[in-house]
Amino acid sequence: MSDSTPIFRVLEALPQGGLTVNLLKGLDYLVPGEWQNITSFEGMIRAVSGEDDQSLIQAIGERALQLYADPQEGYQRAVWVYQKLDSVDKVAGAAAAAQKLGERFSALSFMNKITPKADTTQAIDAGLKFAGELVAFCLCNGIPGDRVADFAKSLVQYGKEDKMRLAAWLAFDCILPLGPDFLGKITGGLQQLTTSALSGNGMFQQIASYLPGSIQEQKKLLETNLAQSSGFLTNFVRSHNITPQGVLDKVKGIIEVTDDRLDYVAATIDLASNFYEHTGVQSVARRLISRAYGEI
Amino acid sequence: MKTRELAFAVVGTFACGLLLWACCGGDDAPAPSRWDTKSPPAITETAPAQPSAGAPTEAAPAAPAAPAAPEPAPQEGGAFNTFFPGDGIDGVSRVFSQEKTGFAEAKLTKDGTEIAVLSISDTATNPAARGKFASATDKLDGHPVVVVGKSQTSVLVKDRYQVKVSSQTLTEEERKTWLQKFNLSGLAGL
Repeated sequence: MSDSTPIFRVLEALPQGGLTVNLLKGLDYLVPGEWQNITSFEGMIRAVSGEDDQSLIQAIGERALQLYADPQEGYQRAVWVYQKLDSVDKVAGAAAAAQKLGERFSALSFMNKITPKADTTQAIDAGLKFAGELVAFCLCNGIPGDRVADFAKSLVQYGKEDKMRLAAWLAFDCILPLGPDFLGKITGGLQQLTTSALSGNGMFQQIASYLPGSIQEQKKLLETNLAQSSGFLTNFVRSHNITPQGVLDKVKGIIEVTDDRLDYVAATIDLASNFYEHTGVQSVARRLISRAYGEI
Repeated sequence: MKTRELAFAVVGTFACGLLLWACCGGDDAPAPSRWDTKSPPAITETAPAQPSAGAPTEAAPAAPAAPAAPEPAPQEGGAFNTFFPGDGIDGVSRVFSQEKTGFAEAKLTKDGTEIAVLSISDTATNPAARGKFASATDKLDGHPVVVVGKSQTSVLVKDRYQVKVSSQTLTEEERKTWLQKFNLSGLAGL
């Protein structure tokens, strides 16, 4: 459940432009100056350390590569989880788009019988992504997954790529498709989800092995994790003035939107972008390099 | 005759295509990188002595000829937490950010802005890191201190635990002041 491709190749394979990058740049107004699209390994080393001596940069980079190459260190798995979170996007996005077709074209109304309601799909999608963030955080930082309070506390300290990913999650996965009451919908979606439905969820199956306890305890952990962070998330949305219309206005400058229906726009973004993987790889590279700088 | 010409044309096209494929790499091989230059050794392996990461004046001594003694098992990162400076000193928030085998890291923030990264590492996981302290002239509570590059000050405790303050905004003196806020004597007793 990990890929041994060296981290410099994973980072340097990220695009320097395109839809995902443009969408993230479009969110700069929410978290000004926090995110730069660093796709060069040396560039990331310079950004983290502030060093410009080439022998020192080489030493930091080589140590970072050593650490990443060891699967037991968890960094490879953190990248894998971030990549999987965007796979969830694709599945949930497809389901939501199909739902739109079902609503718009009566000839396809039969799709309502096999497609979950878009709100429910998006709410569970958003909830699982938040759980994935917890998992990736713990894999990368080494804090045990059952110390929920530690994660909630760390959210407050999020900066750089982490903060941009959080803003993007709130904007594109929460506010846009679910509206201001997104937390209530996510919490409700998770609570209504039976443990058997949860265990059958492909994404949950992937991340569950990194969560402690039985499936019931894992479900409880997701709910508790969300509850512990709800105050911070609500305040983040309020203090950064993340509104559906504000996000839509930014998106309209990037994607040709012919319909102002927010859930439809959100589904389009789901299908076409991979901001979790993009910023997640950058986050892992940053933390890895920070550790390497501390250890050399 | 026509059949023969056709056969030549097919074979020729195939050969040209093969040549083009070979010239272009054909397998989407990534471009060579400076980071490809050597394969990273396993982490648990005792790394050979290498040039110091520090300033040129603090170059590491030559590697000892005798084989190094086996390194002890590294400490768990959580064992280091208690030796970090406290949270809230001078209005500065300290939040732990990484905790791995042989390594613990915390960030210092003031008014929401990061001012420094603090770390303690067990050099048992990277023995080469000790080399740069051999030529240290500065000391802190009897432990050798070196400046690494532009942004780091580091002290080696018990010839094993490396304590660092990294900052792109603090001065060298300020970094050293933060080093003094660690419980170095406690760490020496670990």
